[in-house]
Amino acid sequence: MLEIENVTKSFGGTQAVAGCSLSLAGLKITGLIGPNGSGKTTLFNLITGLIRPDAGEISFQGRRIDGGMTHRLASMGLIRTFQLSRVFPRLTVMDNMLLAPQRQAGERLRSLLLRFPQVRREEGEHREKACDLLDMLGIIHLQDQFAGNLSYGQQKLLELGRAVMAEPKLILLDEPTAGINPRLIRTMIDMILKMQARGQTFFIIEHNMDVVAELCEHIFVLDHGEKIAAGSPREIQNDPRVIEAYLG
Amino acid sequence: MDLLLHLTIVAAIYAIFALSLNLEVGYTGLFNFGHVAFFALGAYTSALLSLGGLSFPLAMSAGIVAAGLGGLIIGIPALKLQGDYFGIATLGFAEIVRMILQNQADWTKGPMGLPGIPRPELFSWQFDTLPAYLALVLGAAAVTFLVIGFLTLSPFGRVLKAIRDDETAAAILGKNPFAYKMKSFVIGSLFAGLAGVLWAHFITFISPGDFTLTETIVVLLIVVLGGKGTLWGPVVGAAVLIFFQESVRLLRLPPEWSGILGPLQQMVFGLLLVILMIFRPEGLIREKGKDTLARD
Amino acid sequence: MDSLPYYLQTIINGILAGCIYALFAMGLTLVYGVLNFVNFAHGELIMWGAYFLLLALAEPFALPLYAAVPVALGMTALLGAAMDFAVFRPLRRANRLTLLIAAIGLSFFLRNAAQLFWGAEVRTYGFEIRPGLRWLGVSLTPQQIAIIVISFLCIVGVYLLFFKSRIGKSMRALADNLDLARISGIHTRKAILSAWIISSLLAGTGGILLALDTNLHPEMGVVNLIKAFAATLIGGVGNIWGALIGGLIIGLAENIAVLFISPGYKDAVAFLIMVLILLSRPFIVAGERTD
Repeated sequence: MLEIENVTKSFGGTQAVAGCSLSLAGLKITGLIGPNGSGKTTLFNLITGLIRPDAGEISFQGRRIDGGMTHRLASMGLIRTFQLSRVFPRLTVMDNMLLAPQRQAGERLRSLLLRFPQVRREEGEHREKACDLLDMLGIIHLQDQFAGNLSYGQQKLLELGRAVMAEPKLILLDEPTAGINPRLIRTMIDMILKMQARGQTFFIIEHNMDVVAELCEHIFVLDHGEKIAAGSPREIQNDPRVIEAYLG
Repeated sequence: MDLLLHLTIVAAIYAIFALSLNLEVGYTGLFNFGHVAFFALGAYTSALLSLGGLSFPLAMSAGIVAAGLGGLIIGIPALKLQGDYFGIATLGFAEIVRMILQNQADWTKGPMGLPGIPRPELFSWQFDTLPAYLALVLGAAAVTFLVIGFLTLSPFGRVLKAIRDDETAAAILGKNPFAYKMKSFVIGSLFAGLAGVLWAHFITFISPGDFTLTETIVVLLIVVLGGKGTLWGPVVGAAVLIFFQESVRLLRLPPEWSGILGPLQQMVFGLLLVILMIFRPEGLIREKGKDTLARD
Repeated sequence: MDSLPYYLQTIINGILAGCIYALFAMGLTLVYGVLNFVNFAHGELIMWGAYFLLLALAEPFALPLYAAVPVALGMTALLGAAMDFAVFRPLRRANRLTLLIAAIGLSFFLRNAAQLFWGAEVRTYGFEIRPGLRWLGVSLTPQQIAIIVISFLCIVGVYLLFFKSRIGKSMRALADNLDLARISGIHTRKAILSAWIISSLLAGTGGILLALDTNLHPEMGVVNLIKAFAATLIGGVGNIWGALIGGLIIGLAENIAVLFISPGYKDAVAFLIMVLILLSRPFIVAGERTD
């Protein structure tokens, strides 16, 4: 699935990620934790091609993706969300969702003009599916609102829904529960578990240990850009290096 | 009555020009400050070919294609730039186009311009009279409105808006920002070329001085005044602005005033842009939550 | 004309133009560095600087040169401060497009205001052209010597102000990080005002020198804005010394280019250089600065 080999990235003089290696092979929901500044989001940025690694390789489904074009990843089956949710503020909630499906006939000029019936059909199907997902997330009543008008928590739910809607093979979630109220966290967790049951895999950066414990079967711990531990939630909780990283 | 027809024709031409710019600025978020270049390319190409004896449909098509090609050529380097830089680059390109028109007198007759551009003749109908030309222009405007409306309401248009709002997030969802921006830019250029063609054959005399930054400012004002990112915005804006501009001329002012009327009016336009941006950047017609094509 | 003096003269002309462009570019990059936007109305500060001098020299003021210049520069600085106060400060938090459009509208307003007062014709200050130095077949009029001297003084002044004074330190802090500077209690308003004043003074001085060397007309702002921007790009946006070098390069390139191409395209040279630079930058991935 996702293989990260010996990846290093420095900014100025600081090493944000240092010789990090990990593999998501065979995992369903994986967690990525570590103290602030340990390089977790940088790692996500490296995976999604927003920045180039100084060294190392990143592969997805057997193909190298490091330093590549960000927009090619979605069709390969990789989507991510952001710490500060990046919904499209001047588009409606529904439009946000409708942007997720890949290879839409209506998005390409030629098929838009020549195969209009197919476009209409796809729009209808996508709309239905979007409604289902929005309903599951409890925000269907907001479907015609501009996404920018939603509360922070609702935006994060929307971003999750949008990612799921794209039916990728792997979803990278960057602190999905940060700053949202417990009721919405519950909705999010339920959604993630429901999707996982349908075969969706997740790689989640999280600070909320309860969420991590409930969702993740396997966890990687980063500190100062290095992987310092890996294992089940229980193993990690008792690992002295992890404890020291958070306290020291 | 003649005056009214004249005004409506000019307003309709500017509506086409503004709709094309709005596709780029309002829907895709491209800061195109050189749009007049494509207007000029359409006008000059069609004018030169018509004066050379080519029939109107062919000349018009050539004008439109020339503008589109210009968009392609300028877009490939310029669209690699972000925000401000793209703005300045397009500004500069427009100046270069004007310089070429001015200096290559062996092609374009330079500063003296091209007089006597023939009125269109389509299927042996002469569009010689004002009402006839109005019909032509309104037809073209309707086509422009429908095409751009179709595009912006479609999934394609949705991607443009997403790129406008957040390019990175759009890329994460698998949309190639450069490719879409390019398409938007070229389509915008094509329609700007159409507006240019219609202008040249209406005014029947064009010169490089008609295609300066001033025209870009006017069309930009129309787009932001009417409401960018909406379909009716540019149309309403064109109507309001052109009628205002021409009605000022109606005031029979003493001749000493005519020298200052031009700059004074332009000052008002500039001021209007500033005031709009500070107090009501969304313009007259606000963007509403749009439904896409499937729901109608 | 393949003589050495001819080439030397070209180089000298290039340096002269380059000095003036350097002043324009330094002013532009200063505001960019501190406020993070390209002031599309910078060209009009240049143009109005030149026209303010014309105003001070003409009836009914008819000031002698040594008094007229400070007055003109003072008024330019006032104009710059007013621009920020009236237009850019209210838009400090607005989105990019709104800011740029407002700047363009402002520039249009100022350009036509000049045309309103002085008409569209080309004008000059009317100083007599006296013979200057002759050396190796190259001539340098007193005006041109003044250009080099004054530019040099301005550059030194900028250096002292920017790197050796407290207000300069504030400006550099702002350039680094506007929000951080605000929180750390740096007097942002004063620093921003200073940036505008210096930027306007540089623009005004350059404008006067340019008008001295060539002429005045209301459209002179736009073309010089593009050249100033090209110069800032060459040197790296926000980098004051880069702007200086960029200006000199543009000045030289322009004048050397005229040896090969038609003079009608002289103004396009700066622009072409800018395009080449922009094209050679790495492709910015999906809008993010991939640093």
